[in-house]
Amino acid sequence: MAAIDDGVAAPPALSSQPSAKAASGGRGLNWWGRLKRDRSLVIMTLPAVILLAVFSYGPMFGLITAFQAYDIYNGVAGSPFVGFDQFQRLFSDPLFWHALENTLVLSAVQLVLYFPIPIVLALLLNSIMSSKVRSFVQAIVYLPHFFGWVLVVVVFQEMLGGAGALNMFLRQHDMATWNIMTNPDTFKYLVTAQAVWKEAGWGIVVFLAALAAIDSSLYEAAAADGANRWRRLWHITLPGMRGVIVLLLVLRLGNALSIGFEQFILQRLAVGRDAAEVLDTFAYNYGLVGNNISYGTAAGLFKGIVSVALLLAANKVAHKFGEDGFYRR
Amino acid sequence: MQDPLKGAATNRRQFLSLAGLGVLSVAGVGGLAGCTDKKANGPGTTSQSDLSKILPNYIPNTAVKPDMPAVVGANGAVSDPVFLRYPDSPVKTVAAIPGKGGSYTTMTPLWGAIPPSDGNSYYDAVNKALGVTLKIQPSDGTNYGNALPALFAADKLPDWIQIPGWNTSTLNFGQGVSKFADLTPYLAGDKIKDYPNLANIPTGAWQAGVWNGKLYGLPVYPGGAIISGTYFYRRDIFEKLNISPDSIKTPDDLAALGAQLTSASAGQWAFDDLFGDDANYVSQLFHFPQKWGIDSSGKLFHKYESQEIIEALNWYQKIVKAGHVHPDAIAGNNQNGKQRFWSGKVCITADGTGAWNGDDAKSGTAANPSYRRAAFKLMSSKGTPTVEIGPGAGMFGYLNAKLSEDKIKELLKVADYIAAPYGSAEWLVVNFGAEGDTYTMKDGNPALTEKGAKEVATTFQFLVTPSNQTTVQQGFPDVAKDYGTWQAEMVKYAVKPAFYAMNVTEPSQYSSIGKAVQDMIQDVKFGRKSVADYQETVKSWKSQGGDALRAFYEDIRNKYGTGQ
Repeated sequence: MAAIDDGVAAPPALSSQPSAKAASGGRGLNWWGRLKRDRSLVIMTLPAVILLAVFSYGPMFGLITAFQAYDIYNGVAGSPFVGFDQFQRLFSDPLFWHALENTLVLSAVQLVLYFPIPIVLALLLNSIMSSKVRSFVQAIVYLPHFFGWVLVVVVFQEMLGGAGALNMFLRQHDMATWNIMTNPDTFKYLVTAQAVWKEAGWGIVVFLAALAAIDSSLYEAAAADGANRWRRLWHITLPGMRGVIVLLLVLRLGNALSIGFEQFILQRLAVGRDAAEVLDTFAYNYGLVGNNISYGTAAGLFKGIVSVALLLAANKVAHKFGEDGFYRR
Repeated sequence: MQDPLKGAATNRRQFLSLAGLGVLSVAGVGGLAGCTDKKANGPGTTSQSDLSKILPNYIPNTAVKPDMPAVVGANGAVSDPVFLRYPDSPVKTVAAIPGKGGSYTTMTPLWGAIPPSDGNSYYDAVNKALGVTLKIQPSDGTNYGNALPALFAADKLPDWIQIPGWNTSTLNFGQGVSKFADLTPYLAGDKIKDYPNLANIPTGAWQAGVWNGKLYGLPVYPGGAIISGTYFYRRDIFEKLNISPDSIKTPDDLAALGAQLTSASAGQWAFDDLFGDDANYVSQLFHFPQKWGIDSSGKLFHKYESQEIIEALNWYQKIVKAGHVHPDAIAGNNQNGKQRFWSGKVCITADGTGAWNGDDAKSGTAANPSYRRAAFKLMSSKGTPTVEIGPGAGMFGYLNAKLSEDKIKELLKVADYIAAPYGSAEWLVVNFGAEGDTYTMKDGNPALTEKGAKEVATTFQFLVTPSNQTTVQQGFPDVAKDYGTWQAEMVKYAVKPAFYAMNVTEPSQYSSIGKAVQDMIQDVKFGRKSVADYQETVKSWKSQGGDALRAFYEDIRNKYGTGQ
């Protein structure tokens, strides 16, 4: 970032001398001076900050309803405070614990089965020499990312459903049909497969960028020393990507409880509540739909607090590995 | 499923303290409402004697004679009259342009594709005739009920909004209705004479628009034979296979068709979802109520507790197990149910009676030229069939309480225009827009042009509607005749459910206790859980508020009767 700043500031040498000086010796500046120096950077982050403030931090005031018996006609100001009653009710609700369990199990399955796939894909793509073939493959695996979940579920239903292409083929050839879409026992693998199909192609973007950043002279030097493909992968490529992999893993763990909403609400009828209820659908079904807004908010707040704890814990682990995590120590 | 029960036991004290809070807030509401009406109360309902003072009188307009007149059935049910041809010279029922140029926001549900709002010449044509600008804002009907609480909470209600009766329970509507204008001073008794087309709506249709002793709602699609749905079959397929639909009299007869009509390798299944959301279709087959019933000893019971729902679950589990239900229906994909029926992938389905119309015939014959929908005569698991009829109108339009008296009067005049009966010049405008632009007359009936098919949707009609009638759509007179004949037979078996049209507002803390039972029904239907699991869930439903609700309704019954 500093390099960019210098680059912009340097050419009109005479007029920008003060700012060039400031850029080189920033430590002694006060808050105002630093703001003045970094104004272009600050302005660049402003839209994101406003977005966060309006759509993420602003609505957090609504969390107060988790401690109320909120009524839509009395509003936040008029609804009575009930302390931790909603949480007590939540923690004694077996359906809530079941939703939490489902969320964690699904997260774990996705972590193991989904997370490595974009890395492998990125490595494979990177090894393709022809840039035409590479961009063609890349475009194809990207595409499902732009589909909505409704479409993804419909595509899966049409292909693998009870009346879908696969089972119709099996029937017409007198073979046993395969219940994929309405089997609650294998639902976790189904949703992981859907997630892989939809998002793996998109997930490779960051890894490809990390691969591109690796100095190609390292490979040349290693090759000259007689390192084969696997040695180069192990000693150059993977260490080069480690920072990015750990960062994404940290973010992933922090998001362990945000497994998704649409994918599950869409398939809830197909496999039943026991398999498909996750925390977000629980808050929706038992909070919003039943107009128990305080109850749903309590479930959401609980999820938020646990997520922050997970994120911090994962970040600590990242630091232990000597990586940056999502902020530097 | 033992955990939930255990949880329910430990949960109970906690729950009761919450219930206490609910009572407190309801009491507070009662106090507030008490300022305006001494008899006002939480339940929202109104005594019969008060109703007679509030409801508008019925002054029928008989200018157009139906081809098949309405048939009076049992318990006050009346079938819709059938018209096969639009009058050549439609009568004018409204003398002058009703509006004075005001501009108003609206919100209505729409089950279907939402038409473009910019440059929509249908909207423009109707608004021009009304002399106001109604900003039409249709919203997805399926999720309508989930959007409403936020709208109420933010106090961002439009000037004129439609609220379906089935969405009022989560809105605590006995309280929420105070956000809307009290129409009693404008429409009660003979005052409705100022609005002759509104006066042409039968008195019974207004009843469910009365809350806490005041008239608030304008009836939407009022009818004398509103039922939750029925069982349809592909008449063309039945004729080809020589199956006599009249021989199908019981649920077991129906199930027995499964093997004959299913050929999975050819992609054809006998049945779509026959159960319905929350058992609303299957209840007719097995004689259990949609909500509350009264047993032979006079005790109130909920459908979840009935023996009959267990029979229904067992019956449906067998059909599913036999492989006679379309896999997509089992996967919970109900949006494409009509397409499956049109294309012949299923032969028998359950649907609302509104599915049986000319648009359906158009779509069906496009998929298969010999397509013909028909409904079974009412079936019954034991003895003579019965069918519960809904209130005289299931949905109502409400005007915002913030509107001034002048504006309310302007909108009521506009409502009078929109409620113009079939056979009038106004009806054509409201339903079809401008002749030559969005519709043309074809074989004596209006038909949408290509442009009309894109721009016309049920929008103004969802604000207020004249009495239901069966008409020829898309050039299919047989559909109108078939439906009229079937309905005239059906009304003979009508019964009024307990708390008919009474607008009882349940205490809000019970609003989500049914969800666990509905989820369980879904699991049992498809064999993922057993009937014994279902009974366990019902036990916990009772302890979590089902029994308290019964006591609540018992109290309503003592004070106001059952409305039957």
